[in-house]
Amino acid sequence: MTDTPAHPTDPFDAEALNATEGLDPVDPAYTQVLRIATALNLIPLAIGASVFDALLIRHLEGPYGLITAAAWVIAAIVIVSFPSRRVSRWGYKIGEGQLRVARGWLFRTDTIVPFVRVQHIDVGQGPIERWFGLSHLIVHTSGTHNSTVTLPGLHADLAAAMRETIRRHIQTDFA
Amino acid sequence: MSDDAAVIPAIPSTDFGDEPNWQRLHPATLALAVVKLGPRSLNFLPAVAALGFTGNWIWIVPAVGAFLLFSLLAAWFQWLRFRFLVGDDEVVIESGVFSRQHRTIPLDRIQDVSIEQGLVSRALGIAKVGFETGAGGKENDASLDAIALDSAQALRTTIRAHRSGEAAVAPVAADAPEAAPAQEDRLLFAMTPRQLLVAGLFNFSLAALAVVGAGMQFFDGLLPFDFNVFNPRDWIDIAEDYGLDQWLLAHRWIAGVGAVLSLLLIGFASGIATMLFANWDFRLTREPRALRRTRGLTTRTDVAVPVRRVQAAILVTGWFRRRFGWHELRLQSLASDGGKERDHQVVPFAKLGDIDPVLAEVAIKRPDAGQSWQRSHRVVALGPVIGAVCATIGGGIALLLGNAVGWLALVAAPLIALIAFWAARYHRWTDLGEQVAIRRGWWKPKMTLLPHASVQSVDLKSDFILRPLGLATLVFGVPGGSSLATHEIPAIPLAAAQDLRTRILAARARS
Repeated sequence: MTDTPAHPTDPFDAEALNATEGLDPVDPAYTQVLRIATALNLIPLAIGASVFDALLIRHLEGPYGLITAAAWVIAAIVIVSFPSRRVSRWGYKIGEGQLRVARGWLFRTDTIVPFVRVQHIDVGQGPIERWFGLSHLIVHTSGTHNSTVTLPGLHADLAAAMRETIRRHIQTDFA
Repeated sequence: MSDDAAVIPAIPSTDFGDEPNWQRLHPATLALAVVKLGPRSLNFLPAVAALGFTGNWIWIVPAVGAFLLFSLLAAWFQWLRFRFLVGDDEVVIESGVFSRQHRTIPLDRIQDVSIEQGLVSRALGIAKVGFETGAGGKENDASLDAIALDSAQALRTTIRAHRSGEAAVAPVAADAPEAAPAQEDRLLFAMTPRQLLVAGLFNFSLAALAVVGAGMQFFDGLLPFDFNVFNPRDWIDIAEDYGLDQWLLAHRWIAGVGAVLSLLLIGFASGIATMLFANWDFRLTREPRALRRTRGLTTRTDVAVPVRRVQAAILVTGWFRRRFGWHELRLQSLASDGGKERDHQVVPFAKLGDIDPVLAEVAIKRPDAGQSWQRSHRVVALGPVIGAVCATIGGGIALLLGNAVGWLALVAAPLIALIAFWAARYHRWTDLGEQVAIRRGWWKPKMTLLPHASVQSVDLKSDFILRPLGLATLVFGVPGGSSLATHEIPAIPLAAAQDLRTRILAARARS
């Protein structure tokens, strides 16, 4: 990786990632939102695995407990450690007449939408997000690919302000 | 922008104060919700059945009552939490009970307003208003379901007035370049029967044979006679009946040549037939605002492609017909007909000299022969090569298990890998100043001419394979076309990708 100075050499150093690309990080509270969302997805799965284990493996007199333990350990690891990493790989930049949203590391996508190409704008807020005072911004373009670009983890006031910024830029230039 | 103060309160604001500007849906919407409940309550039937089977008859009525009550309450909450505002230059919609959504639609972006009335809606005097914004994907368009019919019509008038007020200013500049070509219809391209015949010959395909074969397999049991054309055993039976098998054994190579010849004949005949049926009397004419295409022998179609809505041009050819200079031209447009044909085929089969005038009409130019192209990195062949390696391993395992089919995989896999590696050299791109040209493929060479101004968004993608190589992939969001066929330039140097992205985003919208 020595020949790619544009990227940080340490793939897990999130601050460096956003800094080198000139992006702003999303609100740290989004970690909690992602964590709860992940937990809501994984805990039922873990419970399901436990039930499967108890009903079937024990019934068959197999190695009872292995699946249960593995499921809960994996769920715990994913819930505790993954959200903060995922959040740190979201980045955005608003300005110069365009919105830039970057996400992911293994498969990183860096999207730019010029304000003049925006069709309409959504600001949404789920129940968990409301708890932490966050919103997500959804920008709709007329492109078939990227017809919606989502930027989560924004403070509610910031999301509203961004919406206003973009709205002011939308001009009558649509063919 | 005078209404900023009214709009700015962020979504979490729970004060649903009755500001004069905010409007709600028509209360009769609730009645509509009751009607919609009918079909939805089918979902509840299994529960009722379960109660019945378990002998808990007493609970059925309370359960149904509770279901109805909950549904009505939910509808009422939704109605309560839905409000919209028609401002001077935007429509704002707030919705959602638990998940709140705040949508801003600038009036400039609304292409048209649709008013829709079902049977019940007509009885209630309400209508569903849909805003067509041209956002990719139908589900992304906003709607008001439902408001009173007269206010719906008033809303449409307001928005149309806004459109026309703006249109009075805009087209002066936009129509200027269009005024130059003649105003009457002009024939741009037509296909003579002779051209169709040539095109049909190049359209050689054994696909029809495969389709018929598959059909025969499928209907095998239904056929009145006990003979399957595609079953060699049936043929052998016949041959034995007539003593043909002796003759065949004696003249094996003649039989082989005969089989190949008949296959060729079927291939050519089906190619010519499909070309004749699809493109008979093909005419492409230039009308004041659109390119109009009529074609077809049995079903004649008549499609108009508005010139200003053309987003990109795609030139397709084949590895063999390319040597004779034959190409096909498709135009990607913000398709309004919504049919299955997403890219409009405007020239099915012609030399480049005949295609250039059509391209000129949509203000797209083809790179000349001397154009220098930049190549994608060979890593684009990685996917097929990995697939081939997997196939080889699978074949090896099959052979180890004693299945002779494994040889097929062992032979095919390196071939696929080689072709992929070879075709990777044909991934090329170049920037022509106002448009990007992307070429790919060796078996079916395809060149996409994408004006910078058509690009709505740009993705710069890298992953754990491209990043160490210092590469990135550019993906463009372009209106129209199929969501499967995205426009992308794969695996080019990161600096070049960033540079190209900057240049493309600097372009103004197409007008």
